Amino acid sequence: MQRIELLCTRCPRGCLLRVTATGSRVAVEGNECPVGEKHGAEEALNPRRTVSTTVRIIGARLPRLPVRTSEPVLKNRVRDVVAALKNIAVEAPVKAGQVILKNVADTGVDIIAERDMERA
Amino acid sequence: MRDATVIGGGPSGLAAAVWLAEKGYDVAVVEVMGELGGMLTQCIHDGFGTRVFGEALSGPEFSERLVKKARLLGLRTFLNTYVKEVRIGKEFKEVVAVSPAGVQRLQTRVIVYAIGCRERNGFEIRLGGARPAGVYTAGMVQRLVNLYGVLPGRRIVIMGGGDVGMIVARHLHLEGVESILMVFPEAGFAGLPRNVQQCILDFGIPFRPRTVVKKVIGKERVEGVVLTRVDEKWNPVEGTEEFHACDTVVLALGLVPYTGELKLGVRMDPATRGPEVNEFFETSVQGVFAVGNLVQVFDYVDDAFETACIAARGVEKYLNSGLKTAPIRLSPGENVRMLTPQRVEWVDDADVPVFLRPAVEKANVRIVVRNREGRVLGGFFKRYVRPSTLERIEVPRSMLSNLQEVSIDIAED
Repeated sequence: MQRIELLCTRCPRGCLLRVTATGSRVAVEGNECPVGEKHGAEEALNPRRTVSTTVRIIGARLPRLPVRTSEPVLKNRVRDVVAALKNIAVEAPVKAGQVILKNVADTGVDIIAERDMERA
Repeated sequence: MRDATVIGGGPSGLAAAVWLAEKGYDVAVVEVMGELGGMLTQCIHDGFGTRVFGEALSGPEFSERLVKKARLLGLRTFLNTYVKEVRIGKEFKEVVAVSPAGVQRLQTRVIVYAIGCRERNGFEIRLGGARPAGVYTAGMVQRLVNLYGVLPGRRIVIMGGGDVGMIVARHLHLEGVESILMVFPEAGFAGLPRNVQQCILDFGIPFRPRTVVKKVIGKERVEGVVLTRVDEKWNPVEGTEEFHACDTVVLALGLVPYTGELKLGVRMDPATRGPEVNEFFETSVQGVFAVGNLVQVFDYVDDAFETACIAARGVEKYLNSGLKTAPIRLSPGENVRMLTPQRVEWVDDADVPVFLRPAVEKANVRIVVRNREGRVLGGFFKRYVRPSTLERIEVPRSMLSNLQEVSIDIAED
């Protein structure tokens, strides 16, 4: 059995949800509405986050290129994603949406550039 | 002479300029930095544009969409250009700006100000102690980390529990700093629940409510801070002072409209701390509009974007000699801290979007529009309001006809 506490992020109320998960069965408490129940269940079974960070870029006007995961990754893999990008360097020019690293940290998700960066 | 000159190339300025250029108006954008995009350039996290584009984009992605449109339209942009002076004449207006190519005198029928907001600084809260290196505003840290890959320090204290502070805390944490402590005088975080969960609780970043930095300690570089507990009125509680070692202090003290760079006298609203505007975001000077975070600090770029589109419609009306009537004043009533617009005066059919900041946290409320005598003209049910979340209502014009003054308050449903 797994217990988590989290703030619901679906409206300004920000209910404190207490979620108990036993296998695939989930009980949500503290929610004021059905949206919170669904959110709590998702967060317990499959919590995902989009990771944004920067990588080194060579030959551009700026030394860092903002990048993100093309899709949200499992929350407990966020650190691995950031770590996998520590020693990555790309060369300008880069186009927004361009894949910088395929299947980052074996998450099945790619790292993409957030913006164009021309050669300086 | 141009139809409109937009001062500021961030999301709001670009939105207004693109809207007008798409309609065939002759527009120019003046931007003080070396590239367009404004503060979104350094906001590399996601969640922007869920309403405008229907998807969660990063800051750079949001601004690139606008920049690409601007490029396709052949929008005239002046980069690295600083507006020194604005002249308001009877026939036309003139923007005097210093650019790398020399002084520009841009004659224009309309000016749209979109110069955004600035960060509150240590002097405004009378931050005590020494002035060593290692004290940064949160926005400066964001710039250093996200644009230049420079970490400001290793052991960080962040002052302020708003959205910017939380987002910076997450970035610093993921960049691998040794320690972070967030302190703020309120009982809870002042920002959106979304950020509390995804920036702070997700990573277990330590925070202390009802705590402030009394003074900064250090000679050359920050060596630590003296923390003190505060009561509900934010007065220090005696005997609670405590030294906390750190090498960096980050000021995340909130944002205020950047009115210091307005080069003309327009009427201000002491509550929003920005210029007063009508329903099309025109200031007290005819043909001078103000949009985005310059008017009122918004939580979402989508809201700032909307004000720019509303203003662009107003610019169009102004250029085509639209009519005005006697103004109807809108003022914040009970439980409302501030609102925009402050007056309604154009002859128009469209409903009036009103953005307002609640002063209270409350469930099941009604945002109520009243006439001068206090009679209810209409109400809008809200399941939950809190100061960290700006509310938006759409007031039908018919509700305002034949009035001089209305107030908007938050009441129990």
